[in-house]
Amino acid sequence: MFPLFGAWQTAYNTAVPSVMITTAGTGSGTGIADAGTGTATIGASDAYLSSSNMSQYPGLMNIPLTVAALMVNYNVSGVKKPLNLNGTVLAQIYSGKITTWNDPAIAKLNPGVTLPSEKIVTLHRADSSGSTFLFTSYLNAQDPGGWSATNVGTTVGWPSKASALAETGSGGMVTGCGATKGCIAYIGISYLSKTSTAGLGEASLANKAGKFTEPTPAAINAALASFSGSTPSSGSQSLINTSAPTGYPVINYEYAVVKKTQPNASTASNLKAFLTWTLTTGASSKYLSAVSFQPLPANVTTVAKNLVSSISG
Amino acid sequence: MATSARTAPDGGAGYPPAPRPGGSLRDWVRNGGLIRWLGLVGAVIPLLMLGFVLITLILQAIPAIRHNGWSFFTSTMWSFGAQYGAPVTTGGIAHLPGETFGALPQIIGTLQTSAIALIVAVPVSIGAALVIVERLPRRLASLVGGFLELLAGIPSVIIGLWGALTFGPFLAHHVTPWIASHAPDVPILRFFRGDPGNGQGLLTSGLILAIMVIPIIAATSRDLIRGVPILPREGAVALGMSDFECARRVTLPWVNSGIIGATVLGLGRALGETIAVAMVCGDNLSQVATNLYATMTTIAADIVLNLDTAIQSPLGIKTYAELGLVLMAITLLTNVAARVLVRRSSGTALPVGRGL
Repeated sequence: MFPLFGAWQTAYNTAVPSVMITTAGTGSGTGIADAGTGTATIGASDAYLSSSNMSQYPGLMNIPLTVAALMVNYNVSGVKKPLNLNGTVLAQIYSGKITTWNDPAIAKLNPGVTLPSEKIVTLHRADSSGSTFLFTSYLNAQDPGGWSATNVGTTVGWPSKASALAETGSGGMVTGCGATKGCIAYIGISYLSKTSTAGLGEASLANKAGKFTEPTPAAINAALASFSGSTPSSGSQSLINTSAPTGYPVINYEYAVVKKTQPNASTASNLKAFLTWTLTTGASSKYLSAVSFQPLPANVTTVAKNLVSSISG
Repeated sequence: MATSARTAPDGGAGYPPAPRPGGSLRDWVRNGGLIRWLGLVGAVIPLLMLGFVLITLILQAIPAIRHNGWSFFTSTMWSFGAQYGAPVTTGGIAHLPGETFGALPQIIGTLQTSAIALIVAVPVSIGAALVIVERLPRRLASLVGGFLELLAGIPSVIIGLWGALTFGPFLAHHVTPWIASHAPDVPILRFFRGDPGNGQGLLTSGLILAIMVIPIIAATSRDLIRGVPILPREGAVALGMSDFECARRVTLPWVNSGIIGATVLGLGRALGETIAVAMVCGDNLSQVATNLYATMTTIAADIVLNLDTAIQSPLGIKTYAELGLVLMAITLLTNVAARVLVRRSSGTALPVGRGL
């Protein structure tokens, strides 16, 4: 989310020089807390506010701005086309029940693919991360028995296993996976160009319909279409594990987290102007394509605009 | 003002002098009043800061201490629970469903990495100090000493980066597989066997810490050894002692307590070092390392890596305050233990060493 906000900030500061916006890259939790305590005007988050966030910081709301996806990447010798993986197999890989790439469970999902006997090295985020939340949400949604709901969050107690590495930041995941044969990692779609440069494979993930899809714009939008009709007026919605057969199962709204009541009228009007700009001019492919994000569907843009207009000073 | 009631004419030791009646502000400054005030403020601020930090930590930690109980020190389960679940309240404390905190892996990890760091760093540092003082020609000695001080000045994030990108993978590819398969399967050494890991974990963290601790112990030891008078050493050589015997029986006993002090300085660094360890430890929150190469975490690394999650949970942030208190307690205890050691050994460190 941070790189996009950086690009938005630069463009907006040029377009509207009277309003000075500064950005800082932090974790989602810090962003939410800073917005809640008023340290920051806008906090950004990969995930909607939890009920715990809501009770800690009453008066916060989350405004969907764009749509992102999470990739599952790997570095496996000799595998050319995308590997098919599902939540059950990924949960078993991350709990250490599946330890090599030629395990029958993986082979069963990939008929005709020659898998090496390479040891699987699982990569997870060392720092607290929205990517971890999205990934563990997918595992739990696909296989609640194999991955429990108490292990869904921005930091989880990863099952103890040999051959695990912890990496800091999405960039660390890309570098770590590039340097480790047999690795598997989950990385936000905004790092797509970097994972390609690093030569990492990109998995086709099973959706609720049991179909395997890659995180292409078409698959992301197909998944989005299955959810966007039911996006509530609060904007809070999980977009995990779509039932659309052509939809990619791990997508999410990227949110701006703001206080409904701003300290004064001028801050409120500046904030509303900036957020409206991100939902209109800022939602063009000029800004979004650099991070492989998708724009909101029209009805969700309306939800977002309604939330923006409810901000008061 | 309370201080004006104190009547010692010169202000007394530590007391700012009362401005004499009729004396101007200028006189007061000239007579050293200002300096004394500044000194007093300077002396009190660190105390206040320590007190403030402690009180804040304790206040924050109390609900967590009550909720986590003793299992905080015995359990290895560290889970933030279902982050999107509705908070539940037990015993008046709100927490997320499934949220349980057992800090045994963090506590053991902190002690293990520090122990590895000292086991490696102390002999190397003393050896380096002896060589610098007694063996190397003066120019070379000052060059090597300079490099040691340079090493001490390298920011820990740089050492962590090197550890994560170069040193850890090197260990995993070229060193640990051999040790892991060749170490004898007997108690203690069994800890060296098993899965050789992937370059993150206990061994890498301990060695990274050793690199950060060596300059501290070596530079202090060098200055101490330099202070040992030449006469006892000449005497030892005249008695026919080898260099090694001279170092062991005369030079080192002379500076014994100082070296223990230097080691404690190093230990303090190792216990609290955060970012370098966070980059190479593998962030394993729920298991005490099963062998030397397994991933693990330390108190400091856990705090810096997962604070962002913790602040989203009502109990998590308080538990991190409790974890901070535990780290402070460990640091304090090792300091006290070291003082006791220094006091006990300083009796034998005077003019002649033990055994002479």
